[in-house]
Amino acid sequence: MRTLLKNGRILDPSQDLDVIGHVLIEDDQLASVGTDLPDDIDDVYDCTGLWICPGLVDPHVHLREPGREDEETIISGTQAAAAGGFTTICCMPNTSPPLDNPSLVDFILDRSASPEAGGVFVAPVGALTVGLRGEQIADLAAMKRAGIVAASDEEFPIQSSFIMQKAMETCVQVDLPVMAHCEDLSLSEGGSMNEGAMSAVLGLKGIPRGAEEIMVMRNCLLSLHTGCQLHVMRVSTWGAIEMIRQAKYLGAPVTCEVSPQHFVFTEEHVGEFDTHYKAMPPLRTQVDIDIMMQALQEGTIDVISSDHSPHASHKTQAPFADAPFGQVGLESIVGVTLSYLTHRGIISPLETIRKLSTKPAQILRLDAGTLKPGETPVAQVTVIDPDCEWTFDVNKTFSRSKNSPFHGMRLRGRSVLTFCGGEIYRDRHFSDDRITMLT
Amino acid sequence: MERNLLSIRHLDAEQIEELLTLGHDFKQRVLAGKEIARISKVVGQLFFENSTRTRVSFEQAAHYLGMKSVNFSSTSSSLNKGETLKDTILTLRYERLDGLVMRHPASGAPALAAKYFGGPVINAGDGRHEHPTQALADALTIRERRGSIEGLTVAIVGDVEHSRVARSNAWLLAKLGANVRFVGPRTLMPAHSGLLPGDVFHDLESGIKDADVIIALRLQRERMTDGLIGSIGEYARQYQINRDKLRYAAPGALLLHPGPINRGVELDDAAADGDNSVITAQVENGIFVRMAALYWCFHEPDPEPTKPKTRTKKVKA
Repeated sequence: MRTLLKNGRILDPSQDLDVIGHVLIEDDQLASVGTDLPDDIDDVYDCTGLWICPGLVDPHVHLREPGREDEETIISGTQAAAAGGFTTICCMPNTSPPLDNPSLVDFILDRSASPEAGGVFVAPVGALTVGLRGEQIADLAAMKRAGIVAASDEEFPIQSSFIMQKAMETCVQVDLPVMAHCEDLSLSEGGSMNEGAMSAVLGLKGIPRGAEEIMVMRNCLLSLHTGCQLHVMRVSTWGAIEMIRQAKYLGAPVTCEVSPQHFVFTEEHVGEFDTHYKAMPPLRTQVDIDIMMQALQEGTIDVISSDHSPHASHKTQAPFADAPFGQVGLESIVGVTLSYLTHRGIISPLETIRKLSTKPAQILRLDAGTLKPGETPVAQVTVIDPDCEWTFDVNKTFSRSKNSPFHGMRLRGRSVLTFCGGEIYRDRHFSDDRITMLT
Repeated sequence: MERNLLSIRHLDAEQIEELLTLGHDFKQRVLAGKEIARISKVVGQLFFENSTRTRVSFEQAAHYLGMKSVNFSSTSSSLNKGETLKDTILTLRYERLDGLVMRHPASGAPALAAKYFGGPVINAGDGRHEHPTQALADALTIRERRGSIEGLTVAIVGDVEHSRVARSNAWLLAKLGANVRFVGPRTLMPAHSGLLPGDVFHDLESGIKDADVIIALRLQRERMTDGLIGSIGEYARQYQINRDKLRYAAPGALLLHPGPINRGVELDDAAADGDNSVITAQVENGIFVRMAALYWCFHEPDPEPTKPKTRTKKVKA
């Protein structure tokens, strides 16, 4: 079965390729990418005006299973991923029970391969410590054999520098990157939004920026001294960005990511205690966003990821201090990124795809993020309509949870077709007359 | 039309004047033993935080208005069964309570309640955010003695960061044209007070210099153990309002305190019981401004007892 994605703008950052051309998928494999038109085609998808990219990669997703299946499951989360344009996602270990043993890794891999799932690759991230308690290093070697691609202290940031150093040393030996949740709990405890002018007015305990920056700096230094590959999750302050810039300059193997809510909203959006804007780390100020834009342009920020955090509505319809942190994001991230970064000229289309696909794949050593034939186990291709104008309606998403600050926003650009092996998602914005069956 | 009273921050000067005038009128009538408009409504007193003084004050206010109060306190099982706040409010709504007076430890909780209740909600203190009726009581007390709040210099002294009284007072006084100052230690002052309508002082003497009014805030027990200040002695030496320190304020300056007082900490006996103190007047005026708040929220008196009521009235914030 030869399927041709015809006449699209091919954006493959792994080859620095930005050219109008065609991509051929034969059965479930990527057969060819280029400007020559292959013959003997079965199906043609006319991609005129659209982008053809390597399948997108989100390294920071919460699938909530096991433990909170009311909020999300591996099935619903992977369906959301496919609809969002992702062919590979990494799921975080802060499930209940936490992902700290090989049998749970097996469970996740099995579930994600089931026929009802979204058809995307799930690369689990293991817990750095047993039970995420920050006391004892988890069985990282055994988990790696079972299939984790990184280890993290997500939601339970390791406070002891001693434990973090030992964890990093272990990860160097086992050859796993560390995805760090950088938060000093002694500073952030009890806080629910940025410590700033808004928190003073609303009478909410604030989270000082030092809480993030101190741990970013600490973890970068530990990475420098141990040689452990560090990926800083969810950067939000200009100070943290500056620490990372310094760390990279000093040669530390450090990368970092941002999520869309942090380059779109500020603390002012909390308004009258609106829990849709309760983010981790908290939404900061315009100054932070401005510096973040610069950092995205110069490459200090490597990855854009969703930190997809589903929460049940009874938890979000609570007083601000009691509500949980985080937002869903798999199905809005492409639209928001294109609208707020690409179309505003902050980053080029090629750089956008690098941050949404190639770079996260490189950081986590995943066989993804590239359109070079033979480099991925099956064809992973995402087609994006960069000019599609649409309104994000969270009630029409596959995710079980609807806690999104982007609900109702006009966006320009969305992912319309996802191939992982075969076609796993086709959006109604990819009109049927673009498809021709030749045989 | 019914409306909520959730914060001073959202009121304009006109609405504040309206409330103060109502409070003043009610006071005249009560003290003269005159007829008051009777409002036959049932109000739930929903206190998730213990409070004797505010609750009694609201109950008295409701009583003078002919309203019925139903009490829910956090110590009784009704508020303790692990129910979400939303469900609690919906239950009270469908038990046909007409209004809610609500105190809650989380900032913004009354605003959330107002979304689900369907009738007026009065904020009786939410976390560190606001305590609108306290500010109204304080303003009425000041106005009775000074005629007008405009142009007065008011120093709010103490733990501003954790104080809803400080915030409500600052908004109200600033909206009526006073010059507001926040005086207190750095660790008990909001880190970024730029949007709050007050100038920050860390030195008591310069902070209260020539002030017409001093509002002393209570230093809560928790501050003594959470590492934010040194010893009580250290705090008192620097920020206690006493006879010596009052010399820096304007002659005859008014001294207010929302209560309960930690004698020997934020005030000494001489100050608390002295000529500058109007603390007992604040307490009494509390009843009258709460009558004003209840009346204002329901807008018009309804002499007919139990008219069947539907939840279609629009409620304004």
